[in-house]
Amino acid sequence: MSVTDTPPLHSPGAGDAAPDDRTAPPPTPTSAAHGGAGGLFERHALLLLLVAVAVFFSVLPASADVFPTQENLSVLLGDRATVALLALSVILPLVCGYFDFSLGAIAAASSVLTAGLMSFHDLPLGLAMTAGIGVGVLVGAVNGLLVTRFGLNSFVTTLGMATLLGGLVQWYTGGQTILVGLDPRLAEFGSTTLLGIPQVVYVVAVVAALLWYLLTQTPFGRSLYAVGSNPRSAALVGIRVQRSVWTTFVLAGGIAGLCGVLSLARAGSATADPGTGLLFPALAAAFLGATAVRPGFFNVVGTMIGVLFVSVSVSGLTLAGADTWASPVFNGAALLVAVGLSAYLGRSRGIRTV
Amino acid sequence: MTLTTDPAATPATDVVLRVAGLTKRFGATLALDRADLELRPGTVHALVGGNGCGKSTTIKVLAGVHRADAGRIEVAGHAWDAGHYDAKAGRAAGLRFVHQDLGLFPELSVAENFALDAGYPTGPARRVRWGALQRRVAQLLAAYEIEADPRTPVAALRPAQRTLVAICRALQDQEADGQLVLVLDEPTATLPQHESQVLLDAVRRRADNGQTVLMVSHRMPEVLAVCDDFTVFRDGRTVAALVGQRPTERELVGHMTGTALAATVVGGMAPGALDGAPVPPDVQPPAADGDVVLAVRDLEGGPLRGVDLEVRRGEVVGVAGLVGSGRSSLLRTVFGEHAPASGTVAVRDAAGALSTTGDVRTRMDAGVAFVPEDRAGEAAFAELTIRDNLTAPVLRRYWRPWGMDRRRERADAADLVARYGVRTPSTDAPLASLSGGNQQKVVLARWLQRRPTLLLLDEPTQGVDVMSRADIYRTVREAAAGGCAVLVASSDLLELSTLCDRVVVLQDGRVTAEATGAQLTPDSLTALTQSSAGAPAEHPAPSGAPR
Repeated sequence: MSVTDTPPLHSPGAGDAAPDDRTAPPPTPTSAAHGGAGGLFERHALLLLLVAVAVFFSVLPASADVFPTQENLSVLLGDRATVALLALSVILPLVCGYFDFSLGAIAAASSVLTAGLMSFHDLPLGLAMTAGIGVGVLVGAVNGLLVTRFGLNSFVTTLGMATLLGGLVQWYTGGQTILVGLDPRLAEFGSTTLLGIPQVVYVVAVVAALLWYLLTQTPFGRSLYAVGSNPRSAALVGIRVQRSVWTTFVLAGGIAGLCGVLSLARAGSATADPGTGLLFPALAAAFLGATAVRPGFFNVVGTMIGVLFVSVSVSGLTLAGADTWASPVFNGAALLVAVGLSAYLGRSRGIRTV
Repeated sequence: MTLTTDPAATPATDVVLRVAGLTKRFGATLALDRADLELRPGTVHALVGGNGCGKSTTIKVLAGVHRADAGRIEVAGHAWDAGHYDAKAGRAAGLRFVHQDLGLFPELSVAENFALDAGYPTGPARRVRWGALQRRVAQLLAAYEIEADPRTPVAALRPAQRTLVAICRALQDQEADGQLVLVLDEPTATLPQHESQVLLDAVRRRADNGQTVLMVSHRMPEVLAVCDDFTVFRDGRTVAALVGQRPTERELVGHMTGTALAATVVGGMAPGALDGAPVPPDVQPPAADGDVVLAVRDLEGGPLRGVDLEVRRGEVVGVAGLVGSGRSSLLRTVFGEHAPASGTVAVRDAAGALSTTGDVRTRMDAGVAFVPEDRAGEAAFAELTIRDNLTAPVLRRYWRPWGMDRRRERADAADLVARYGVRTPSTDAPLASLSGGNQQKVVLARWLQRRPTLLLLDEPTQGVDVMSRADIYRTVREAAAGGCAVLVASSDLLELSTLCDRVVVLQDGRVTAEATGAQLTPDSLTALTQSSAGAPAEHPAPSGAPR
């Protein structure tokens, strides 16, 4: 992955140590190199695990004839595109230190609204999609306002918003699945492939690339990590903290809205669903991702690896004949192990203050 | 100077705590290298040394936070191999710790803070006997001369009282457990000067009543005033053990730095300043007729009640005053964090244009920089890298349409780290891996790279060791020599008299006095800050709400 931010194994140059050699014994180059090597492994552990799992299911007799085929990979990627997109939206507020539990519900609401506008009101596809994404942006803006301007706890606020949206979805659909009256172009987009890869995957790739650029290659994105680290300090180096946090909620809402449209395209129908089924795997992927590439920080590339890791494992398990309960058990266990391991590694990294 | 490297050389009697040959390695760093320490009962013993000398590690070994690799620990006659020593053993033998972060629960009452440590007294059915608890705590508070009601929340106490409550709590089972040894880790680091004085007086009185105290501190005048014995660490070794002597500050710093380096350090801090004799800093005095960079007129807001102040190009102006006098509020208002209730703050930027209003961003654009007092809470991004910490206010410099120019970022960060003497193997290390002094250098470098026209420093050397302090003073003087106007608020009057060309004294939100030239001594500044007949104002209301 050439896109990762990989600090070089930097040994202390003469310039670092020369001007002041009268305090503590200088940390030796070996310690830096040692930490660097450990860090290198830690950064890529999840990727290695992903490869290992993929290889395992490719050679396991029970799954070997289906798993490594192009058809299976295509289905796998297509089915997980919505989770991937939602995971991308989840990391935005998380980078600043805020949870947004309403993103799953936003995706559900967007999906239902897009379908409903076409089915009930005969609106054209473009307008319906815009409305779906727009409702995401709007809800994100409200969440952001409540969290920043009114200082409400993001955990509770977005939980309330999720519940509220879930109820509204039920009301709007009357508990029914919206199947008829949808523009066929949407379902067609969701079910066709380009160069052997489902088209929806390209959408995810584009959003991921944009978000990666935003978070790592712009001053705004870099300052978000500063806000997440210490909002007081961030304010005193001239970062407009509230505005930044608000923006992440808005962007996350917009991406979740897009995720809803995408899931409509993929499924061909909109179900009255509270969206939690989508949110939890997305959160899991985000937290798995925070153990990789840039350990300790939510990041785009890590999140994508996290999504792939969970998808590949679940697909392999299913093909190998595991029962349905096996996948959530595996997902949960993987998350616990990953988070536990990264916390353990973080502790042993030898950060100490003298 | 008595150099005890062999513990057997001193009589074995009359030692309540002995540490011998203590060795501790962190990765490739040898934090402690056969360090020794001996405490006589009934004395206040200072453990001093520069950054990373191993004194904090020693305390952490004694507290059972770290396990030493080798050495022996003896407490009140019990002896352990350091490898087998743990927190429980130390506690059973009578060691009691009060760390810099006091471990109090601010929202809870004093009595509950005691009970959470020692257990609630309970009656039938595990009912808490509140009356008994309060009586017991009231007795303890009286015995320690702490003027506080057991029912008061700890947050409502003055800082020194809070520390005393923590001390009293640590020693609350003194009668039951016999003679205890109190270990104070930088008890005054976050206290303003007069609060420190209250605390140190109380500690001294406890010692006069037979309490044994081990104290780690960076503030030389304080340990010199209150301690009987001194142990000096350097590079994880004991370089001096001064028993029952009265060393001078210069002597102590000499041991801390090694004699060869003592001269340069003391030189950098203005020769003689460490001994209390004022000598102006060895940097050119500024042209008194430089442009006025900061003009404050009739400023009101929060604790400020009409401040008038001017700071010129190249001038270092100090702000002295007791807690509540408005020192920090003045700086924060100038930086645009608070809007003033009335009055004006005019700042001249590098191009000569005056701006009178603005929030933090516009002040920064006008060339103002602010180093806040609370480094951990308001300046540091602890888990981000040193490079991220340095580039935080200048990120836009590195943006190109194709992304951030990381190569330049790295080069600039490495430059800054070298120029300001930050000791780190890599700019990719997390800031939290640095010592307090080095973190402060990073914070200073963060602002100085912007070439500010006005530098605001709030307690710039709090929790910073002597050597880093000298570096920081030199850095500030160099910035001033380069044309920067500097405004320093500090409770350390020695610091103000060493660093500043001129010191204004704030009292109750007004400038009541100004000292220059020969008046710039800690003594005369003390006199000026304390001279008002009225009692010092109480701690200001939370400074976020100036109106």
